[in-house]
Amino acid sequence: MSDSVRMVAREENGVVSMKLVISHPNESGARKDEQGNLVPAHFLKTGIVQLNGAHLFDLQFGPSVSKDPFLQFRFNGKKGDVLNVTFTDSKNVRFSSEIVVL
Amino acid sequence: METRCFIYLIIVILYACPLVAGLYYIHSNHNKPMERRQFLASCILLGGFLLARPGKLFAEWMDKYFQQVPIQDAFRNALGTADIAKTDKLTITAPPVASDGSSVPVEINSAIKCERIYLFVEKNLTPLVFVCNLQANAQPWLALNIKMKESSSLHAVIWDGRQYLMSSVHVNVLAQAC
Repeated sequence: MSDSVRMVAREENGVVSMKLVISHPNESGARKDEQGNLVPAHFLKTGIVQLNGAHLFDLQFGPSVSKDPFLQFRFNGKKGDVLNVTFTDSKNVRFSSEIVVL
Repeated sequence: METRCFIYLIIVILYACPLVAGLYYIHSNHNKPMERRQFLASCILLGGFLLARPGKLFAEWMDKYFQQVPIQDAFRNALGTADIAKTDKLTITAPPVASDGSSVPVEINSAIKCERIYLFVEKNLTPLVFVCNLQANAQPWLALNIKMKESSSLHAVIWDGRQYLMSSVHVNVLAQAC
């Protein structure tokens, strides 16, 4: 499912800015559809961002993150570093992707 | 949940098999008393396996943090206290008026080095939006888009290793979403 995570990371003055978008419905479980039925919950629960294999950010999400979550991070790094992200949703589907810092 | 248990079971089996086989091989000479070399070899083997444990595969999701409770209870569940000192070293950047509550851009920037960042939306059904643990090279800066049910205060909380510090802003939402 790597095509559902798009990300880019750019280094400037020793600080890497990283942006990522995950294609995900991120339903909170509280929204109703046109017929008035509750849409079942389906949202991202955990996320791990790793830099060269070492943990950088460990995240836990609630249902209040918007649809197609757009996240941005900053960290100390350099060009050529390998970034690895893994997200898990409430149906235990894993989304992961890997890029190199530009 | 079942998938996770299954994965853990496989990991345990994968790690236990060579350990048991190795110990059995070292101690296969049953009739002699254990020699020092045997003992050292088994110690090294055991130590090696203990060190080579798989790292944390999943960040554990805490149900307790993400319950549908009022904001004060959400603070208590996630932080253990609802009495948090305010700080001006922590800034939340969010639009004062959001036309669409289904996607409100929020940016959290801390001038203090911190280990954890929390974001709460006071009037959402589930107030806690996320918890983020920061490791060594991470900068205390985060941005994401959140859903807001109605006009509400946003509270960002950081843990700097000794205490919790909080900062708040208010966002007016014109079209509600959840």
